[in-house]
Amino acid sequence: MKVTVLGAGPGGYVAALKAAQMGADVTVIEESEVGGTCLNWGCIPTKTLIASAEVLHKTRNAKSFGLELEGTISPNIEKIVERKNKVVGTQIKGIRGLFKSWGVNLVEGRGEIVSPKKIKITNKEGSTTEIETDKIIIATGSKPAQIPVFPFDGKRILSSDHAINPDSIPKSLLIVGAGVIGCEFAFIYKEFGSEVTMVEMMPNAVSTEDEEISAILERELKKNKIKLLKETSVEKVDVKGDGVSVQLSNGKTVEAEKVLVSIGRAVNSRNIGLEAVGVNTGQRGDIIVDSTMQTNVEGIYAIGDVVGGIMLAHLASTEGTVAAENAMGGNSKVNYDVVPAAIFTSPEIGSVGLREKQAVEKGLKYKVGRFQFRALGKAHAMGEIVGLFKIIADQETDKILGAHIIGAHASDLIHEIALAMEKGLTVKDIAHTIHSHPTLAEGIMEAAEDVHDAAIHAPKK
Amino acid sequence: MYPDNLKYHKEHTWVKVSGNKATVGITFYAQESLGDIVYVDTPEIDSTIEAGTELTQIESTKATSSVISPVSGTVVEFNEELGDSPEIINEDSYEKGWVAIIEVEDDSELEGLLDADEYEKYIEEEVKLK
Repeated sequence: MKVTVLGAGPGGYVAALKAAQMGADVTVIEESEVGGTCLNWGCIPTKTLIASAEVLHKTRNAKSFGLELEGTISPNIEKIVERKNKVVGTQIKGIRGLFKSWGVNLVEGRGEIVSPKKIKITNKEGSTTEIETDKIIIATGSKPAQIPVFPFDGKRILSSDHAINPDSIPKSLLIVGAGVIGCEFAFIYKEFGSEVTMVEMMPNAVSTEDEEISAILERELKKNKIKLLKETSVEKVDVKGDGVSVQLSNGKTVEAEKVLVSIGRAVNSRNIGLEAVGVNTGQRGDIIVDSTMQTNVEGIYAIGDVVGGIMLAHLASTEGTVAAENAMGGNSKVNYDVVPAAIFTSPEIGSVGLREKQAVEKGLKYKVGRFQFRALGKAHAMGEIVGLFKIIADQETDKILGAHIIGAHASDLIHEIALAMEKGLTVKDIAHTIHSHPTLAEGIMEAAEDVHDAAIHAPKK
Repeated sequence: MYPDNLKYHKEHTWVKVSGNKATVGITFYAQESLGDIVYVDTPEIDSTIEAGTELTQIESTKATSSVISPVSGTVVEFNEELGDSPEIINEDSYEKGWVAIIEVEDDSELEGLLDADEYEKYIEEEVKLK
């Protein structure tokens, strides 16, 4: 069986490896670099920048840990980017090594579907070749969405692709869009020394999260002196010699050295031959798939950002596994009810399942358990007392409907609940599991207890 | 611990009125119950507020609590000193540690508040109940 994968991002490379493990003859076509957005312009680059920002933050607060610092500390952006590139480079080698190990054939160039059994590849030099295939998995991903009236120029108007490779720290940065990407960059650039202002059309920052979590994050933005203008949009942008003048819907004008536009991501479904084979797409160009990740054309699958919906690397990987299994004759499906997600703000956010608002909208009878980070000894020892554990459980079955954590290591902590949800465990199951002391994970146990008003380290209600 | 020239709200805030300006803060009992205060949120300046509703929030190492306004009016000033040094409230909750100034239209509300003796009795009762 010949399987060809278009795109070697976290969806495509995982699909390729899975198919190879199952015995397929696999070709992956990648026009840029293996690892896709996640590894080259997204998840991993931002996390290395955040790691630098965190060390900077901790060092600046050394005094509160009883440490004397002689001299000053400041970010060297060239070295920070160098470290980022090194980390990315190591991961790229890792994926290439896995391809070699499993016999996956990586072809560098741009792939275009000619027929369900044929793909044309154009390499950098412009020469083309055609390859035969039995199955196709489209994993072409997405790119930063731009506002047509002020497109990215990489100098004054930046996308997240530019923001991970700064050549200098702007004195002031205006971020359009206070979603996941905008908020992560706000904390990074603020720590590096920029004056940061965010403009958001929605009534909340990270508006797709649970409202209580958004509210706590907004306060942390405020504490960090990051200005957030909500329910505000950008009307006009004037690029001048030394900066950008941005006119807002509230009548005010904000001047900034640079503008980062983080309003979402657009799918990469153009010029890959979808029309030629009649693959159906939605309004935003998103490829429409069934529950097995197959498009309307038999033998052509699509996964990851290009199918729209939730754009997360790990969901793309899961979809890639499912598509590969199905291309090899299986009948797998993705469980979209349990998709953990992480936001690497300061502090972090981890979430899985329903937001409380969604539980209300669905008319569910539910109970909520909460527990504060500041009630944990470990949080105090670490000097990280901000945060909340929140568990939403079905009132009758006691099963978990959703959970939301904001606080140190929330991105890791959420997975205990993801596993519990995947396996249909109750909050009592979590509460009755011994949790090590002193850890932040104790907060999950306490929040689970609190669903039944039985948290030990919380006052009587 | 409870100055006689102030009026007190049962939600553990105090108010001192001079002309149409009411200075508001939290009581000694409130700061002691909260423990080390680490952050005082900025109330929205120029917003109107009803007596008995949340003026802003205070975070301590133990809890996040609402500061309940003892009077109705327009929030005109926030004690900016608290931005960088919230611990001032622990050190001096009545003078340097004031939280906000509220412009009041009608000071008849003050009659419904407690005086120092009444407030002290009230917290003694409250502590006993706990």
